[in-house]
Amino acid sequence: MSLLQVQNLSTAYGPIMVNREVSLIVNDQEIVTILGPNGAGKSTLLRSISGLLRPKKGAIRFNDRNVTGAPADRMASMGVVMVPEGRHIFPDLTVQQNLRLGAYCRTDHNAIEQDIALMESYFNVLAAKKHAKGSALSGGQQQMLAIARGLMARPRILLLDEPSLGLSPILVKEVQSVIADLRSKFSAAVLLVEQNAGLALSVAERGYFLQHGRIVGSGTISELKDHALIHEIYLGQHSRPKSVRPSAT
Amino acid sequence: MEIFFQQLVNSLSVASVTILIGMGITLIFGLAGIVNFAHGEFLMVGGMATWFLVSAGINFFIAVLGAMILVGFLGFVAERGLFRFTLERPMNGFIMSIGLSVILQHVVIRLFNEVQKTIPDPIGQVWVVHGVDIIVMRAIVIAITAIVVAITYFCISRSRYGLALTASIADPDTAALMGIPVRRYVTGVFIYGSVLAGLGGALMIALFPITPFTGSVVIIRGFAVSLIGGLGNVGGAVVGGLLLGLVDGLSAGYGFPEWTDAYSLVLMIAILIVRPQGLLGGTLGPKAS
Ligand SMILES: Nc1ncnc2c1ncn2[C@@H]1O[C@H](COP(=O)(O)OP(=O)(O)OP(=O)(O)O)[C@@H](O)[C@H]1O
Ligand SMILES: [Mg+2]
Repeated sequence: MSLLQVQNLSTAYGPIMVNREVSLIVNDQEIVTILGPNGAGKSTLLRSISGLLRPKKGAIRFNDRNVTGAPADRMASMGVVMVPEGRHIFPDLTVQQNLRLGAYCRTDHNAIEQDIALMESYFNVLAAKKHAKGSALSGGQQQMLAIARGLMARPRILLLDEPSLGLSPILVKEVQSVIADLRSKFSAAVLLVEQNAGLALSVAERGYFLQHGRIVGSGTISELKDHALIHEIYLGQHSRPKSVRPSAT
Repeated sequence: MEIFFQQLVNSLSVASVTILIGMGITLIFGLAGIVNFAHGEFLMVGGMATWFLVSAGINFFIAVLGAMILVGFLGFVAERGLFRFTLERPMNGFIMSIGLSVILQHVVIRLFNEVQKTIPDPIGQVWVVHGVDIIVMRAIVIAITAIVVAITYFCISRSRYGLALTASIADPDTAALMGIPVRRYVTGVFIYGSVLAGLGGALMIALFPITPFTGSVVIIRGFAVSLIGGLGNVGGAVVGGLLLGLVDGLSAGYGFPEWTDAYSLVLMIAILIVRPQGLLGGTLGPKAS
């Protein structure tokens, strides 16, 4: 039985269909990636899994329960937690307050305090800046905070939307090692959306290609690396780099 | 000096009512982006309910509780029955709330009449402090407001619910991703703001007569207060309310009393031109999409 099952999911913004008949699965503690060009509908897919968008058709099952159409707060409390594209740190709240909010669903107060300490030891910048406002952090620091805040919920599955976006190569390496460690340190599964195919292919075990809102290929990482689409999707990337969007603040 | 002190107490008691209504408006708009033009009528209904209960022989302070509960329930019904459906289109909600304010006025006129209502001073005592007469009820109004402000401020800035509320105001989608039931917070805040309006009305009728049309005067001042302080910012509503209250009281005592409303609105306009986000800064509410 897989942890997350997405079955024939279609999502639209008003009349504009974005995801069509998307099916995928993520097993417990597995790292799965979704690759695809700009505008393929990757964020839309994650937003509909996380409950921010209501799918038009199809079903989402989590832990063998039908959770189609459940709102984001319920998904989060069940353990499906998204770290959104652009980080969305609360700029006027401190680093600690941001972390504390991540644990909103939990009631085990002592364990929450322990987890805050754990995050601060794991992501050093967070300890140094615990009383700084979110807006005072650099893009890379905000990304670490966003991931840590997601982990504070102790998710069963973390949905990461372009965590390397706009980061320097050194920070991309750091994000990469954090993701690779998530399973062993936090026993969470990961569904990773990335433009940086190098990063995604190095940490994930399996993946899907998304193009024009549809799944057009899938397989293990070695299969994906040989897939014709990887070239179509990513080889042109350097000549057509994704514009770096400003972070949430 | 005695006169000044008396004016001060008077202005502070008037400011109290303004602060209570401004706090409700600022929370409701700041969180839900709901411009509830009927918020003034909520206050009026609270005042009328207090008048009705006191006239029926019920103790004033119990009548205050009754008014708060009634108006809180009114808020719950309005949020669940009306505003919930216009969250995506704030303009529709605004127009609807104007309709609601007219309906509430007419319901009250139907039930009672349009004549102004008063209750006898619930305390009916005067303190003489250094030769200055202080009406005790006014002091009580100020004290109750101070306590309510302190509790509200403490809950928002110190509790986990306050933190979640702040996050929901700043970024509802991301707050929902943390598991915060943003919609329930919207309902909760709407009810809380309505309860404050009920309290404001109950305290107001202890000081002044109230007519079914009182709400439409009060609402303008309520919006002025929340804009001056910064929408969504409770501390801002308090500062705004004090400022308006003092300008009112002092202009009534030392300037041209008939211009009182003009002074406070000129002040609001000046502040908004210099500091569009309000004195203490606030959200602009969820963006209309
Ligand atoms: N809120 C919205 N309203 C209407 N259309 C939208 C909205 N958000 C995205 N779209 C459209 O949906 C399509 C898919 O967008 P989405 O953000 O899911 O793509 P993506 O694969 O995440 O792209 P990127 O790599 O740029 O993040 C795009 O054509 C986009 O213009
Ligand atoms: Mg995207």
